[in-house]
Amino acid sequence: MSNGSSIQGITTRTYKPGSIVYFENDKSENIYILKSGLIILTSQKLETGEEVKEEVRPGEFFGVKSALGRYPREETAQVIKESVVLVLTLADFERLILKNVNVVLKMLRIFSNQLRRIGRAVREVLGETSTINPEEELFKIGEYYYRAGRFNQARYAYNKYLDYYPNAKYSDLATKRIREIDSGQAESNIAPQPVKRQEVKTSTEELKDFTLDEDMDTVPAKESVVDEMDDFLGDDVSGSNFDIADESSKEQDISSMFYDAMSLYSQSEYESALQLYKKILNQKSLKNDAENKVYQKAHFEIGRTYFKMGQYNEAIEAFSLLIKKFPQSDLIVNTLYHLAMIYEVKKQFDKAKSYYQKVISLAAREEIGKQASRRLKNLESR
Amino acid sequence: MLLDEKLFDKFGVEYEPNDIIFCEFEPGNDFYFIQSGRVEIVKIINNREKTLDILGPGDVFGEMAILEEEPRSASAIAIEHVKLLRFRRENFDALLQGNPQLAYKLLVIFSKRIYDAKRRLMILLLDDPQLKVMDVMNMLAEQDPHLDVAEPVTLRVTVQEIANWAGMQINDVQKILTHLNKLGKIELFNDRVVVRNIRDFQRLVNSRRKSMYA
Repeated sequence: MSNGSSIQGITTRTYKPGSIVYFENDKSENIYILKSGLIILTSQKLETGEEVKEEVRPGEFFGVKSALGRYPREETAQVIKESVVLVLTLADFERLILKNVNVVLKMLRIFSNQLRRIGRAVREVLGETSTINPEEELFKIGEYYYRAGRFNQARYAYNKYLDYYPNAKYSDLATKRIREIDSGQAESNIAPQPVKRQEVKTSTEELKDFTLDEDMDTVPAKESVVDEMDDFLGDDVSGSNFDIADESSKEQDISSMFYDAMSLYSQSEYESALQLYKKILNQKSLKNDAENKVYQKAHFEIGRTYFKMGQYNEAIEAFSLLIKKFPQSDLIVNTLYHLAMIYEVKKQFDKAKSYYQKVISLAAREEIGKQASRRLKNLESR
Repeated sequence: MLLDEKLFDKFGVEYEPNDIIFCEFEPGNDFYFIQSGRVEIVKIINNREKTLDILGPGDVFGEMAILEEEPRSASAIAIEHVKLLRFRRENFDALLQGNPQLAYKLLVIFSKRIYDAKRRLMILLLDDPQLKVMDVMNMLAEQDPHLDVAEPVTLRVTVQEIANWAGMQINDVQKILTHLNKLGKIELFNDRVVVRNIRDFQRLVNSRRKSMYA
């Protein structure tokens, strides 16, 4: 990089091929315009971790979004051919584009496309694709405010419903409701119960309040479909469960050992993590369902840790033990997936393939199933 | 930000307290700029009205309507007497040509929105419920520009909000929070969570994220 010279108060820099303008995760409020040369932006696709490369051509901006939004860089900007770059501060950028609204319009369009694409991905992960019917939902908003005794707001929603859906399922009902509101009959139909926000309580009450969140009553007590991959928590939740006094009495319970082990694992202290996981496996008695889950999960983590350490045979042994002892466990799919990966690494491709197939047959529609299909396809194209 | 006074003659609308400006699930064509007064953005979740945001003069809302006509994802209700500028999608380009400041402001709003949406997607893609909950806390902590990861971090958030961010059932989130509380990793209060060691959460999440793509 040569030193900054100044044109109209804006710095220009020259970069040699191979140098980096900024790294992913850097924080900076600079925005760049490539004057000449070639720069490549490298980022990772969130869904797959796949590398995405994007060229910046002369005349184009880069580093705009993260600077404006004040968040870390999402890509690394690497210089391919010797490049001259204008470095703008946020103030420079603002001044520049205020004179050139077309540039803003173009950027807005690009941004809005990106936003739409991410929005779609989010809805897909949440399983919210095309399940809601705006017509019905709009009517329900009216009903909500009607029942809450907030008649002005209810009337607005009913009127909008009738504007947009004059001859639909709830048109008659909406008309009737508006009449009830206007005649004052609605007032006597329902006893208004304005929704009050909870106030902050004193410290002794705090924990209890948090558990008894106002929405708890609307949620079924036991969700049957728990996240299949890794629900190691479970926990002894049966009603109001914050009992702090009880907590201090048993310091080294199985859950906290597990948590510590996970923490060690994440710091690459695999040996120590293994020791703790094995300690969990040596527990003679398990007090409840929650501990049982942690116990199962420890089997899994031992396999995963050995895998990470490259001790594949030990990993296979640990995973096989899990399958043998807990054939009904939530962790089975993920265990099979790991076995597949191990055999893939060991170049025992037939075994790897058959485990991937098992994963697919058990979880075809989940992310892990999709990943297994991708890997299987990879193997088959060898 | 100051907008041209003449704009109000052309685009100005006024609302009284508690008036709905637009309603969740109503098709949206307009977006709004607040001249004066405050507006509450609410959404009905599990049969309760939740406040998502409270906006004041200079703020913009309903801006997703610029992109396409989709049902509104939340309702906007006037808290007090408000004066707004209402803009239609059709004259958006012309409007921005005359008001480059507004164009710049929208650019900033969209940049933030994209990041927030991406960050949320990162949480949702994690394959472990506990890590999702932890990563929601990481995300909230990151929003503080003066975050000191060596200190306990206080997050103003409720279980419901964490559940929304993580795309999880509220009682599952509750279990995890209870558990983390028992382990002394967090402290729970009515309106906030204190995370003892946010770095620990960041480490756990990052290591899983890396191994997910391995």
